Amino acid sequence: MSTDDLANELTRRTENAPQELLTRAFFFFCAVLSIVTTVAIIVLLTTEAAKFFSLTASLLGVEGQTVSLVDFFTGTTWQTSTGEYGVLPLVAGTLMVVIGSAIIALPLGVGTAIYLSEYASPRLRSKLKPALEILAGIPTVVYGFFALIYITPALGTVLPDIAFFNMASAAIVVGIMIIPMVASISEDAMSAVPDELREAGYGLGATKFDVSAGVVVPAAASGIFSSFILALSRAIGETMAVTIAAGSQARFLNPIDPTAYLEGAMPMTAAMIQLLTGDITGGGLAYRSLFAIGLTLFAITLLMNVISDLVAARYREEYE
Amino acid sequence: MPSRVISPAGSARHLASIAIVFLDVLPPLVWLGYVLALALPLAASVAIERVDRQLPFLARFGLLAALLVASLLFVPGVVTSMPTVPTGSIIVAVTLGGPIAAIVGRFAAGRLENRRTGLAVGGGSFLAVLGAAFLGSSVGLAALPATILTSVSLVPAAAYVLVVAIDRPGRRIGLLLPAVVFGGALLGAVVVDAMNFAGPNSWIDWGFLTGVHNSSSAAAAGFYPVIGGSIILMVIVAVLAFPLGVGTAVYLEEYAPDNRFTRIIDVNISNLAGVPSVVYGLLGLGLFITYLGESPGTALVGGATLGLLILPIVIISAREAIRSVPDSMRQASYGMGATRWQTVKNVVLPEAFPGILTGTILAIGRAIGETAPLVVVGLPSVIYSLPTDLSSSVGAMPMQIYAWASLYAGPGFYNSAVPAGVVVLLVVLLAMNSVAIALRNRYQREN
Repeated sequence: MSTDDLANELTRRTENAPQELLTRAFFFFCAVLSIVTTVAIIVLLTTEAAKFFSLTASLLGVEGQTVSLVDFFTGTTWQTSTGEYGVLPLVAGTLMVVIGSAIIALPLGVGTAIYLSEYASPRLRSKLKPALEILAGIPTVVYGFFALIYITPALGTVLPDIAFFNMASAAIVVGIMIIPMVASISEDAMSAVPDELREAGYGLGATKFDVSAGVVVPAAASGIFSSFILALSRAIGETMAVTIAAGSQARFLNPIDPTAYLEGAMPMTAAMIQLLTGDITGGGLAYRSLFAIGLTLFAITLLMNVISDLVAARYREEYE
Repeated sequence: MPSRVISPAGSARHLASIAIVFLDVLPPLVWLGYVLALALPLAASVAIERVDRQLPFLARFGLLAALLVASLLFVPGVVTSMPTVPTGSIIVAVTLGGPIAAIVGRFAAGRLENRRTGLAVGGGSFLAVLGAAFLGSSVGLAALPATILTSVSLVPAAAYVLVVAIDRPGRRIGLLLPAVVFGGALLGAVVVDAMNFAGPNSWIDWGFLTGVHNSSSAAAAGFYPVIGGSIILMVIVAVLAFPLGVGTAVYLEEYAPDNRFTRIIDVNISNLAGVPSVVYGLLGLGLFITYLGESPGTALVGGATLGLLILPIVIISAREAIRSVPDSMRQASYGMGATRWQTVKNVVLPEAFPGILTGTILAIGRAIGETAPLVVVGLPSVIYSLPTDLSSSVGAMPMQIYAWASLYAGPGFYNSAVPAGVVVLLVVLLAMNSVAIALRNRYQREN
């Protein structure tokens, strides 16, 4: 190698060497793919849902049966065989799952988080946190079967007039399912509270309970609140457990009425599965109604995730 | 960092157990085709590296990529249509026993610090596997199981015992423990059999694990096609989601400038992680089936849908792992004149690999348990065979459980087949999750 070659070799700019450009292009492509996924979801859901509604179907030049926006959002009957597509019974079913699971999961999840973050010894915590993760990793179809075989009969011994498919067991099992999510996000928020605050509390003579409830929980409130929203958004999107446990009868129940939980109903996600396991023909009205429900579901969960992000960003206490 | 080195005997066992799964799902001849198709480009890359180190990167990359594609396209077809083919057991002995013998030989050579003994151990191992392939049928086992059993279980165990016995005479006593445990279990089985003790009558028996669905009788129903189907889906998901997820994470952590576009990607990924799984199913249904014209329920459609579903989870965990690599290591690499890609390849990725692996295993576990998106993309609820290629129908364990719990609802299936299926699914998932968590705890403690 002559000196010229050597000088070239040593002063060569590598930033735009083919190897660098190729790898950078690959990584960039990967990152762009996630945007493409989101765009694909939105475009697909809106175009198919637009073909479903009479208001927008003509704009896309789609012939055939459609449903008016008013009928969809205010109709109280969901009966695809007679062409009645009112989404309210499904939304009511989803709301019941959310209310029921919130009653189960929010107190238990926060309680678990307080125990893990404030009371448990480090050794116990290192055992319990993986256990929570494993609970979070159990498939939802297993939870659904668990509700059907164990929770419903157990409820039946207390409340004899409970139906075989009922909202109560669906809500309870979804509640159990989202406990790990509430617990682990809340625990992260509580662990981030600096020890000085706790020590200040103890210095004033507070008990461990006073410090946990009066200092740590308020200081971690934004994290706890965003854990609630994320967990409930998961409860809304939860599909298999409610499909198996709540049955496939779309009834319009009152979510505030406790006795309504003894009956079966059909949340939005369960309705989608029921449409698919029934005989839907590709491109028909039932097929498009699937995307209309999907769009509603996507919009609700997206909104909740955005709210959770905003709450976490707006009310986060910065500790140095 | 001696504890980072995974013992060769252990890795031989892992390799072998993964290989067994494939051998059971693929016929040996197809397996041979793919092994050869992957081995040829590998050999070519080693050869190029040896012969000419000055070859420009792009030329080398293009050559190898073309070779890989061509070899994957043509070699399996050529192999399956060869006029004379070796028997299944010979194929397995060479493709499975060969690498295992090589690993075992290296392990022995490393531990005994003697090349010649290592060669002898490796050669002996290979001969033992070949012997099993030829003689297996004469000792009461079929040739194929005998070969697999020898290469996977007997050879690594015997080599380990031999090496420990020679290398550490003081520790020979420790070898008694597995022998006592195994012998005790064997003795117990013989005693129970001989004295006719009534044991628990488990629904999960050999017939359940190897049989197919039976709509008239829960007792005769089996789980085999969906176990295989779930494994195939798992592989497709891993192949799709791992490179794309890690690539995105590397871009965001190592390359991305701090601008609006990067922030959009960032927010977008965390929102994608919160999209309900059934909506991903709709994406698969609309995109792959309605617009791209794939037929519903194929292995490719199911795997791609699940891959998209777990992509955000893989990205988020890989980013965390990459972020935990200390900046001083990157700066040391740049200080030695390394380029950005060299730093990523040689410093960041190896250091973050355990964390990335943990996140990926957890995410794949999530994919294996998902049912809703698979229902939406039309996986069949009843399937009697494994898929033969990517575009044939595939089953999945949670799908089968759902079908048994809904279509065949009744005390027969509720009390037998469904719980048995649930237990098999949970065993697989808990095994995957505990491997992931154990891996993470081990590396967290080291750091």
